[in-house]
Amino acid sequence: MSGEAGRLVIETVGLKKTYLGKMPTPVLFGIDLRVAAGEFVSIIGQSGSGKSTLLNILGALDVPTEGLVKIDGVDISTLTEDGLAVLRSQVVGFVFQAHFLLDELTCLENAVLPISIRNGSPTLEESAWITSLLVRVGLGGKLHKYPDTMSGGENQRCAIVRALANRPRIVLADEPTGDLDSHTGEEVFRLMRQMSSEIGISFVMVTHDERLARAADRILLIEDGLMRALTKEEKAVGTSPS
Amino acid sequence: MTIYSLLPRQVRFESQLAWRHLRSGGGQTWLTIAAVASGVIIVIFIMGLIFGLQRRLTALLTDAIPHVTVQVPEGKPIPYADLPGRLPGTSSSRSEIQAPQRKNIDDWRTVLAVAGTIPNVRAVTPAVAGQGFASKGANPVGVSLIGADPMEQELITPVTKNLIGGHYDGLLADEVVIDFELAKDLNVGVGDRIRITSISGVPEPLRVAGVYSKGQGRGSAYVTLRTGQSMLGIGNSVNVVYVKVFDIYAADAVAERLSALLECEAKSWSSEFPNFVTSLQAQSASAYLISGFTLIASSFAIASVLIVSVQRKAKQIGTLKSIGARSRQILLIFLLEGLGIAIAGSVMGAIAGIAIVSLLSLPKQAVARGGGLPESLFPLILDPVYILAAMGAATTATVLAALLPARSAAKLNPVDAMR
Ligand SMILES: Nc1ncnc2c1ncn2[C@@H]1O[C@H](COP(=O)(O)OP(=O)(O)OP(=O)(O)O)[C@@H](O)[C@H]1O
Ligand SMILES: [Mg+2]
Repeated sequence: MSGEAGRLVIETVGLKKTYLGKMPTPVLFGIDLRVAAGEFVSIIGQSGSGKSTLLNILGALDVPTEGLVKIDGVDISTLTEDGLAVLRSQVVGFVFQAHFLLDELTCLENAVLPISIRNGSPTLEESAWITSLLVRVGLGGKLHKYPDTMSGGENQRCAIVRALANRPRIVLADEPTGDLDSHTGEEVFRLMRQMSSEIGISFVMVTHDERLARAADRILLIEDGLMRALTKEEKAVGTSPS
Repeated sequence: MTIYSLLPRQVRFESQLAWRHLRSGGGQTWLTIAAVASGVIIVIFIMGLIFGLQRRLTALLTDAIPHVTVQVPEGKPIPYADLPGRLPGTSSSRSEIQAPQRKNIDDWRTVLAVAGTIPNVRAVTPAVAGQGFASKGANPVGVSLIGADPMEQELITPVTKNLIGGHYDGLLADEVVIDFELAKDLNVGVGDRIRITSISGVPEPLRVAGVYSKGQGRGSAYVTLRTGQSMLGIGNSVNVVYVKVFDIYAADAVAERLSALLECEAKSWSSEFPNFVTSLQAQSASAYLISGFTLIASSFAIASVLIVSVQRKAKQIGTLKSIGARSRQILLIFLLEGLGIAIAGSVMGAIAGIAIVSLLSLPKQAVARGGGLPESLFPLILDPVYILAAMGAATTATVLAALLPARSAAKLNPVDAMR
């Protein structure tokens, strides 16, 4: 267990990203990030600092301009298009600010979607497992409801279960509570922490909510295209009032 | 569990999502299905009309003529130098026609036997045909003469149903059935006696047993086979065998088959009416063209609806990719959607097309032709081959139309799509 815990599931070295367009926009100037198995990391930073850009690269949705990105020990620049699809399917799970559930599918169908994409349809065991997760997050009574008949918090909880469906190594969550009121947001966050420790999945969560950020194992700050851990003072500022 | 578990894994989730898309598409889905169905309806109608018209015209033409005529080839002009029995040493640029008259088919029973083995053959009638002059008193009038058994000849060129008076069935050896024009020229009627002088030169006294009218043009004079044989002086032989087939469009094949099997020359009706055949082909070509353009037009309509639907689903496509869907799977989802529309549209189009054509076939012509039942007003036909072809072509066109939006969906970049 200790050997597994020390393993790096994310490792970036000198990761740079410049959006090429009419005007090249440099966003990330050299990010060195290491996330261990089972760790819950939060990333904060000002709007436009490049948090989503980083997450997209970590989830193989986008490619870095420069630098090394290793996900679960694999240098993703060596992967083919299909290899990247496998990575997105089995190694990484995504939770976005908007839930991005499919309107045409029920809560349960949405939650098993990554399994259906990988293997056509879930096995009975897989269905049972996903159902148990949905029950755990309080959606036991909503299994066959469609997203447009469920609340924002319910949909986001369903999206979290979807991110866990293929038992990934890492879940990348980009402002998962951004669209929720603070109470619901906290619930969703607690759920992610629970899942993280229970199933042993690493979480990298981007958030604007300092309280939630501080509840993580580690807080990282993106500033001026670089990433650093919060200093003791910065942490203290946040913690003292409570 | 679900019906999707019956499908192979490679298309299971894709089929499920495609079906959900179609279901949630509602009116838009029905619109595209209607576009495919309209295409199929138009194609079935056009094909039914054009080919129905062709069948009626062809039937009108070929009902009254032999479909295949078997004869011994006419002698080709032979250069004098090659003429058998020419005087040695003499030479001439003159050509001789070897035989002035149709040669006889002495082994016509073989022809009958061989023709009987060809599946498409409906009736085979041995006959003698030749030219002659008919007269009553003075003025002789040219006439073409056919000698055959009335029952058998009836199967080749219907006479009885065109009779104005008298009979053809049970024709006696000294009787003849002539057409109305000849009767008028000779000023004779049923029961009168006329003379027909054939090429052999012997005048034959015959009693008019019946007068018929084809409605247009001059017809032949019909005598029994024996009388014909004796008038043309060819003994027990015949000089022509008439063949009637079931499928007149396959008459060429029957003619070819007979020519190959026999030392005779077999000509099909189509080689006697090349212009008719050409105009049929032009008609068919225009039917295919109209059908093709119809399908192209409905494909454009479908493609444009699907392009918009893909654009509206950009976020979903991005989501699917972000949770592991490959481009191939996205392509398949939208192709299957196209296939669903195509199949639903062609099935509904076929049903509606068949219904419309059947309904339009109900009204009958006011006047019946040739004593039969009145034919339907619109000469529409329903040929399963064309219906299946229309469905197949519409399905293909629709799937091709879906290919363009499906490919653009597959190529979507997830980050851009989800922004
Ligand atoms: N596709 C793109 N093309 C060009 N520039 C882009 C693109 N995507 C993002 N950017 C720019 O990169 C910078 C970082 O964007 P990013 O979305 O990563 O910020 P963020 O930290 O997630 O901000 P927020 O907290 O508002 O979500 C921004 O200045 C943005 O304008
Ligand atoms: Mg962002």
